[in-house]
Order: sequence, then structure tokens, then C-alpha cells
Amino acid sequence: MSYKIPMGPFHPGLEEPYKLDMICNGETVQDVKLHVGFNFRGIEHLAETRNYIQVIALMERVCGICSNVHTFTLCRAMEELTGLTPPPRAQYIRVIVAELERLHSHILWAGVAAKLMGFKTMFMTSFEIREKIMEVLQAISGNRVNYAMNRIGGVNRDIEDPQAVLKMVEALELEMAHTVIPIFTTSSTAASRCAGVGVLTKEKAISCAVVGPVARASGLPQDTRRSAPYAAYGELEFDVPVQTGGDVRARLLVRALEIMESCKIIRQALTKLPPGEIHTPGERFVFTTGTAAKRIEGPRGEVLYSVSWKAGSKNPARIHVRTPTFAIMPSVRWMMQGARLADAPLIQASIDPCYSCTDR
Amino acid sequence: MTDTTTQLESISEKLGITEPWVETGGAHWLAPGTKSVREITKVMNEVHARFITITAFQLPAGEGFRLDYHWDLDGQLLGVSFQLAANSLESIFDICEAADWIEREVHEGFGTEFVGREYEPLELRQGDTSGVNLREVKQ
Repeated sequence: MSYKIPMGPFHPGLEEPYKLDMICNGETVQDVKLHVGFNFRGIEHLAETRNYIQVIALMERVCGICSNVHTFTLCRAMEELTGLTPPPRAQYIRVIVAELERLHSHILWAGVAAKLMGFKTMFMTSFEIREKIMEVLQAISGNRVNYAMNRIGGVNRDIEDPQAVLKMVEALELEMAHTVIPIFTTSSTAASRCAGVGVLTKEKAISCAVVGPVARASGLPQDTRRSAPYAAYGELEFDVPVQTGGDVRARLLVRALEIMESCKIIRQALTKLPPGEIHTPGERFVFTTGTAAKRIEGPRGEVLYSVSWKAGSKNPARIHVRTPTFAIMPSVRWMMQGARLADAPLIQASIDPCYSCTDR
Repeated sequence: MTDTTTQLESISEKLGITEPWVETGGAHWLAPGTKSVREITKVMNEVHARFITITAFQLPAGEGFRLDYHWDLDGQLLGVSFQLAANSLESIFDICEAADWIEREVHEGFGTEFVGREYEPLELRQGDTSGVNLREVKQ
């Protein structure tokens, strides 16, 4: 006999409000219906009421974890419409902040996943490291969550002492290489809790058009930093980790390996940081009428901003945001089918969902 | 001839569209002409382009709506625009699973009818009409 178990929208197993209606047969999940929308704030509509300065601060608040991703993509789109090109130093600083944000997001996720695995020590360790990453971000931007780094034509703050930041990053890299990475890649606790759980096949990953670490854990080598390089990514060397298992363990491995790749990117960017301005000189720019669509690879995957403007207007005519969780979330249905009920929280967490981003 | 050009021309050829692709605003745009969104989606599936999203626009008074469909093809951002006079268009959900949630979102936000699919009832505004989130509401 099958029965329905609702989970959420407010539940200790969920980090943010959303709802799963699970049809179960005994302890086995047969099918799932996903309900989102509990965080809808009408941000796309609000954006049309904000000018080109205010809208950056607004869109930074789409997400409380990958806030920089949103301003980065928005500014790229607005730069396309104004014809401004950020100077090389700004492009490198954007990469450094984006990769620090990826580190902080992946480590936060590692902590959440560890907690759901029943691995509380790892949860505490991950959050301790995350604090240190946030300290690096604070040292650069003055802020821990909404960094306010991006502006049209560049960045707001310089990295005045790259060597000092490099030392902080190297210390972090060492700590992660000795704790998070070996535990997540070799520990039997992580392996036994995650292997074979919540499988998303490559075929289904293609069909659902999933993005980011979830796609890469299902054998799809897609990464916007590599396929459509932006900012300074084209000048930096890094690998795109890909796993073929498609399960929670593969997602864990991809993110663990990406942490090391992000450290590699940050180290290169800080070493190569070119001299010069951090934003285009002068304050005058003009928006042309049209639509610009720009993407970047956020911690959870590809983010797309479609920005429309009418010449002469201070406000955007329309901003549409396609966030990675919006693309990934429907695939949770396929990951859950056949899974144990007790694994449901871990499976939904394995996509590193952000419902604030999804609902906007 | 670059790989990108070859790939884009191959799409045009399969669709029988002679108008060239136009690169603007960070994407390559194709004017669909008389081709339907379903015909274009089928060709995008054939060339293994990855569906990204649909962006809906409400055009100035009386001009209806515009839907911009986006795909990724080996890192190239592709766009196809459809202008809707009656605010309805064929659904591509059955041939492009990834379009499910965005079709539903556009339906709820703009009241656009994607013909050939059903929608679940609104979760938070049950019984309310769709199309009031982003559409300009005249008082």
C-alpha cells in the first residue's frame, strides 16, 4: 500500500522552505512532487523600479550565499548594454572574489551534507573553515555576505596587498587539503552514506538540462568558465572535475575537487594580478536600447541574466534571472525515485539547493 | 569558417531559414520566420543544444508579449524570439523536459498560455488568477 508523506515547507531536514510530497511504499519513495514559491519576493519586478545603481544592491540580495554571482552577471549584462569593458585588474579581482565565494559555498554545503549524514564533527570542522574564508572575503571587501564588489565597468574595492591574501588562501588550502578533502573522498562514513544514493543518470541529466556540480557528477563536462570564458578565466589554468557515478557521492567528490581547483585559480590570479585601474575611468556612460544575456558559472552552476533597457531610462525595462537551482531542482524527482525515505533530506541537499535564488 | 559559424549554419539549414544569425547582446539570435517554437526545439534537440530558459517581456501597450528562448551550444548562447499577439504559444514541455518549470513560471507571472500542457494549481495563491506577478495591472 502506498501513502503520501509531506515534508516541508518548514522542516528540520530542509535548509529553506519548500515542500516535498512523497508517495512511499513502505520505506521506499516511489515518486515525489516538488513545490517551491515560498520565498517569492518579486525581485524581478522590483528591479524595474530601481535605477542602475540601486538595482545592483537589490540583485545582490537574491541569494544570501552566492550574492556575488548575481551582481557579477548583472554587471556583465549592463556592461554589454553600455559598451564598458572593465580593466584587466578588475577582471582578475572579479575572478578572485567569485572563486572565494565558490569555496565558501562548497564548504558550507559540505557542512550541511555532513550534518545530514550524521557526521557532526565534520559539520563543525567545515563551518570553522567557512568562517576563515569569510574572513578573507571580509579582508578584501569589508563584508562577509553581500560583498558589494561589483559595479558597472569594474569593481568597487582593490586588493591592495595580494601577498597577504595569498598567505590566507594558502593556509586555508592546506587546512582543507588535510581535513575536508581526505575525509570526504576517502572516509567510509561518507562513502557508505552517499554511494549509490540519489542517482541521476547522464541521460536524465541531459534531458533535465541540469547545470553545475550536479551535471558534472553525472558525467557532463560542462562549465561556463571553460566553454565560454569570461573575466580573466581564459588566462588561468584549471581543470573541470567530472565524475560519472551520478549519485550523492559523485556530487560530493566533484565539489571536493572543485575546492582544490578554486584554490589553484585564486593562487594564479593573485600572483598574476595586473596593475592598473579597478574600474573604467570617468562616470559617464549611456545605455543603449536592447537586451543583453550574460552567464557565469556560480558555485551551484550556470546563472543567466537577461537584461533589457530602453535608452534614456535609468531603470531596467526587464531583468530575468535563471538561477542554477531552478534548472536542477526538477531533477530531484528522478533522484528520489526508489530511494529510502531516510535519504530524502540528504538527496535534496546534495544538489546544494537555494530556494531564495529559485523563487526570487 | 569557424566551428561556431558552421554549427549555427547547420541549425539554419535544418530549419530551412535563410536569414543569418545575428550576434548581439552576448547571444547569437535567429529570426524564426514562420517556424514554430516546436520545430526549432526539435532541431535544437538534434544538435544537442542545452535548453536554458525562457524570458518573457510585456511589450508596450497593445503590442502583446515577447518570449526569448535560450539554448547553449558548446558554450555559445543562442536565442530565438517569438512575439505573441494573443499571449499564447505552443508548449515544448513534451519534447524538452527542461522547459517544464519555466513555462509554468511564465504562465503564473505573465498569464501566457502554453498550448498543449496542463498546470498545477498555484501553491501560494490558490484560486487566484495567473499573470498578476509581473504583468502591469491597470487600476
